[in-house]
Amino acid sequence: MNEFLEQFVIECREQVEQATADLLALEKSPSNIERLDSAFRAFHSLKGGAGIVDFDAMAEAVHGAEDGLSYARKGTIAISTTLIGDCLACLDQVIQWVDEIARRGDLPRDASKQAAAIVARFSRGDGVAAGADPRPQVEQSVGWVTSILAEHPDAAREARCALRYTPSADCFFSQEDPLARIARLPGLLTIDVSPVHPWPQLCDLDPFQCNLVLVALSSASETEIHKALADVLDRCHIEALEETVRRPSSSLSLDARSLLEAQLGLLESTVNDDFAGKVASAGVVVANVFLAQGDSGLAVPIEEATAQSLAEGQTAPLAHAIKAILFEEAAKPGAPLAFGTEHDTAARALRIDARRVDSLVDLTTELTVAKNAIGHVVALAQNGEEGLEQLLKQRFAVLDRLIGELQQGVLALRVLPLRHVFQRFPRLLRDIAAGLDKSVNLVTEGAETEADKAIVEMLFEPLLHVVRNAIDHGIEDKAGRLALGKPAVATLKLRGYREGENVVIEIADDGQGINVERVRQVAIDRGVATAEALAAMSESQVTALIFEPGFSTAQSVTDLSGRGVGMDVVRTIIVRMGGTVGIESRPGAGTAVRFTLPFSVMLTRIMVVSAAGQKFGIPLDAVVETLRVGPDAIARVGAAQAIVLRNQTVPVIDLREALNLHGESDRRRDAILVVANVDGVSSALQVDVIGERFDAMLKPLEGLLSGTPGLAGSTLLGDGSILLILDLTELCR
Amino acid sequence: MSDRKMRVMVVDDAALVRLFYRETLGKAGFIVDEALNGLEALEKVLSEAPDLLIVDVNMPQMDGITFIKTLRRQEPPMAGIPVLIASTEAGPQDFAAAREAGANFYLVKPIDPDRLLAFAAMMCGVAA
Repeated sequence: MNEFLEQFVIECREQVEQATADLLALEKSPSNIERLDSAFRAFHSLKGGAGIVDFDAMAEAVHGAEDGLSYARKGTIAISTTLIGDCLACLDQVIQWVDEIARRGDLPRDASKQAAAIVARFSRGDGVAAGADPRPQVEQSVGWVTSILAEHPDAAREARCALRYTPSADCFFSQEDPLARIARLPGLLTIDVSPVHPWPQLCDLDPFQCNLVLVALSSASETEIHKALADVLDRCHIEALEETVRRPSSSLSLDARSLLEAQLGLLESTVNDDFAGKVASAGVVVANVFLAQGDSGLAVPIEEATAQSLAEGQTAPLAHAIKAILFEEAAKPGAPLAFGTEHDTAARALRIDARRVDSLVDLTTELTVAKNAIGHVVALAQNGEEGLEQLLKQRFAVLDRLIGELQQGVLALRVLPLRHVFQRFPRLLRDIAAGLDKSVNLVTEGAETEADKAIVEMLFEPLLHVVRNAIDHGIEDKAGRLALGKPAVATLKLRGYREGENVVIEIADDGQGINVERVRQVAIDRGVATAEALAAMSESQVTALIFEPGFSTAQSVTDLSGRGVGMDVVRTIIVRMGGTVGIESRPGAGTAVRFTLPFSVMLTRIMVVSAAGQKFGIPLDAVVETLRVGPDAIARVGAAQAIVLRNQTVPVIDLREALNLHGESDRRRDAILVVANVDGVSSALQVDVIGERFDAMLKPLEGLLSGTPGLAGSTLLGDGSILLILDLTELCR
Repeated sequence: MSDRKMRVMVVDDAALVRLFYRETLGKAGFIVDEALNGLEALEKVLSEAPDLLIVDVNMPQMDGITFIKTLRRQEPPMAGIPVLIASTEAGPQDFAAAREAGANFYLVKPIDPDRLLAFAAMMCGVAA
């Protein structure tokens, strides 16, 4: 079996698993658009794959199911048990075929008969004939931009250019490889391939004629795309996408959507004296958008909401009304989730453990008592009572404690245990592994570790990806494991723990590890790194290349389905969350992928130090000890300084020099050192003075200051001044 | 929906641009009023009561941003007239300034006639 087919078989199994899981979930909750979309994509990918390796019967059968699902997405037909059953039957057939392909390298002879039976399932009832896609097969040259944007909402968000390339029918004779050309486009986000004319019967097919239209989205600029397609420009449509056009369409036109969103933006910008004008005009525009569509039913509630907003002096009623329409629009079957609604709604809805709310309620009771107690002191003072200091001090202490608890309690509302994402895996794992003749035991550790809600919720996708990768590529099949003397059942460990400021999530398998030689080869083949660059890299650096864009070995097939599924996607997501990805591989013994994520808001114990007259905070959990040493204890080692601490050489970093501070120093004869442990390495920070310690809420630096090397964030001091928090990882590097 | 014709006031100092608006919008059935700058527009808005203002940014005497700011601080219903900015400026700071001032939407010049009509119709509440 050639590599192409091998890849195809792997892909198919993956897609079938995905689709099965989606369909089962959909059966339970038919309104789950995400699952419907995901199932649809899986079928779409299956069809695309089958088309590429020329298994027409399979493509036909899958196409039937894809059609069924696409009608469900459009809301033309309902998601019924029958539809799901038919789709599952199609998947069963596909798996049978895939097994056959894996064995013999081809479909069984009666495949087209079996395919016809599958297609027939989708053409009964509902008045919808399968295969009779309402879109004409020869795609009209208008509306293609809108359809590809709607088809790939994720890519649409980043796309700056849409292009449509219709190669000439005899292009193969002029050594043109249309697919490869598009695949090499700069900033490529997604490709859709469709036939120009309906595919003829196999016996009539002329394989030397190109019958393809390629539609793609790219994040590159129009000029770059022009350059890349310079010699075939006459066969291309290239459309630069405006900011407001990149949104997928729904029953509201793109323009209408952008108008509505602009009004939301306008509402956010109101200040006191332009409030009425902005709200009234936004209300008029939104109501008019619906009137223009002949939808006065939607205009009325908007007018009411506008009146309410104006009367209350609050933008909320109108803003909510607009959002409700936009979101409801997005939640209708067939409408793709538009403009990051998942994120937006996630930010709004917060599921909170009832006990946490109860403890907050208790706290407010205590606070009331404390307030009354102070009122009592005030009354005493008014009566001319003297010597109240002691009493006030006591009351203050109580209030201080309660407010501290309140702060922690409120912060705790924003955190979720990792269990929320971990608990989805046992089931998924069984599903994924079952189709691959692999048996995997999932061990989760540290599920109670808490992290910011936003982070926990965004973790699922990258985790799933790494887990799937581990099972697919890392873990050997049962026979292979037995031959290596490993237990037949593989172990996959999901582990979460806190490491200082970070939450670390580790996915470790006991599979074959990553073949560094293979990574080198692939990196060269795919132009991810040059041979010279590779020669200079350490093994772990080479291993880390799998996170580079363009590396993924699965890419050739899956990108066609519009799902970029390389490991680079994992890294992109983690980096977007402010984290880093690391990988460790031991050949023959397993792979561990580690996400290190910030714990964005939380109380941290801070130690204040000062250097050159300026105060800085150091997260206390990194501090191992503080020392006062004589000037002789610090030795120069080349350009650097170090001390010997319990037979270990510890580098000394002078904070004044590291941060290039020029203020007057408050340095005594003895050096004051703060020994910190960062990533297992000790370093000593030389400071002038060590000050108080306290708990503080760290804020990441924003705006111009973000990314300032050496600084991790800031917090407010009691006197209202700002304390900058040092990033020890950066400083001690 | 009423059958009355929608009234659009275009505020632009360039005669050619006003001609473009007059032609495009006029043919589509809008009544088009014109003003040469923000100051003139402020005076006219009260008497003409337009359904939509299409406003340029760079104009003598009173620029578009100041005009919109002033408009939004008037009494209703004048304050709540929808405003479409049409400008050659296309930087994020320009969009932000227009929004802060109180513009409802922003189109970058040169404007495609179909696009202009689509937005004018939607903002006036009539079918394109």
